[in-house]
Amino acid sequence: MKNKLTFWIITSVLSVIVIYALVNTVLMPVLTKNPLPKAIIQTTSDEKPKNSKKDNDDSKDEVISEPVVSGNSKDAKAKLFELRKREVLLHSRLELANEDSMYLVLDLISNTAILEMKGVMLHESRILESSVSNSIRMYHTEALLNWMAEPFMLKRADATIPKIEYVEKIAPKDTIEANKTVVEPAPAKLGDVYIVMDFDRNLRLVISQSEKPDQDGKKIINAMRRKYQEVEVRRSLQSLVKFNRQPAMPQISIVISKSDAVIFYKALPVRPKMIIRM
Amino acid sequence: MEIEEENKRSHLNVIMWIIPVLLFCIFVLMILFTPTFQDSAFKVKSWFTGFQVSEETTTEGIEKLEVRSQRNINSIELKLNNLKPVKPYIVVNTTENRYSLRNADGDTVRTGGCSTGKNEVLIAGKKRIIFKTPKGMFTVLNKQENRPWIKPDWAFIEDGLPIPSARSASRIDYNTLGDYALSIGDGYMLHGTLYQRFLGLPVTHGCVRLGDKDLDVIYHTLSKGSKVFIY
Repeated sequence: MKNKLTFWIITSVLSVIVIYALVNTVLMPVLTKNPLPKAIIQTTSDEKPKNSKKDNDDSKDEVISEPVVSGNSKDAKAKLFELRKREVLLHSRLELANEDSMYLVLDLISNTAILEMKGVMLHESRILESSVSNSIRMYHTEALLNWMAEPFMLKRADATIPKIEYVEKIAPKDTIEANKTVVEPAPAKLGDVYIVMDFDRNLRLVISQSEKPDQDGKKIINAMRRKYQEVEVRRSLQSLVKFNRQPAMPQISIVISKSDAVIFYKALPVRPKMIIRM
Repeated sequence: MEIEEENKRSHLNVIMWIIPVLLFCIFVLMILFTPTFQDSAFKVKSWFTGFQVSEETTTEGIEKLEVRSQRNINSIELKLNNLKPVKPYIVVNTTENRYSLRNADGDTVRTGGCSTGKNEVLIAGKKRIIFKTPKGMFTVLNKQENRPWIKPDWAFIEDGLPIPSARSASRIDYNTLGDYALSIGDGYMLHGTLYQRFLGLPVTHGCVRLGDKDLDVIYHTLSKGSKVFIY
């Protein structure tokens, strides 16, 4: 009898905790918070004010402020949505091409990652595997268009390889010392690569290498993965008390070859921009 | 009979306790893998949302928007094409120490190994001299055959030699740059090398060194104003 009572108390308390955690950490963030924040449109000085436009040829404002349209045909709606998505992407690409920096084009339709500058493709890599969070993939709405309306700008990057590696050398005192310090150059050893890039508007890009990492590389990569998981666990635990869980960052994960991952990471500037085609 | 009944009851007791254990496991999993749970929830949510419908418009309305969108796309594509180089250009990959020479249409006409900056910091007293190849888009400012190299101060510091005066003859080196040099500004050049065996390795002080045959083709393909992309 006593046993039964204990069982019912424990089961009831645990059920309440599970339901509370489910609502607090999973359902509420998903139902009440938008994982795809709207892009703030950059207006350049050469752009005409919106009201003065008679013939709209490349207006970003107009691209995204169009009312949501529902026609009679589902196909027509889908076609229009695809066209507008393409328009938004091209507009972002043009905006980046006008800048003096390298940028990343992630084409999830043709499965390629492209390093570009001034509209010129500098390096192209085949994406061997990719996955997109449901919070991005499942939206075929204005929210997605508004989210993609501007290039994504990197806020923070974390990688298992250094971005720039300098070797320090003390100047020799004389020619004898200079001759002694001469070292035959050798190709640098590439470490295993795992890159986490957090962009604005809540987007995370994870780049992994297709090659199997060595023992040391595996340890470093796993440590990095754990670090990010711990952050999420801490956020979930805190939300149980504070009731403020944000949805996890929408994530795009790609797998490319190790050499390409190194090239992209080293070539991109400190605050690179990225556009996504999907 | 009573023992059997007792056994049955104790079994039931054990089975009963699986429920709170399961609940606890679900709680732990939910906390450990919140993003995964959320992602699944987003999928479920999308079943109820899909393409948002705010107002009814006619098919003609959609067609009008389609035409406008297509017109915008064509216009942007044209603008993007206009940004591309009109002359042949070269792309240098400093990570792999390789170059690719492309024609005005962007087609690769020649590729090969090259040498770029060694990413070294030479410390001379309080001075820190960085040897690295700059990245970005550059323009060929001038082309010269058999250009002598006027050695900067760091060339002497690196060899442990005293720095001569600015106009000293010891600063002039007629062999190092090879047959041709294409200047891209700030003292950086695309030039030849005496150390052909190091091509493909990062060994330079910032310039891009090329093999003799490659340099010959590049020199005669690129002209003043051609673009040089280094990444």
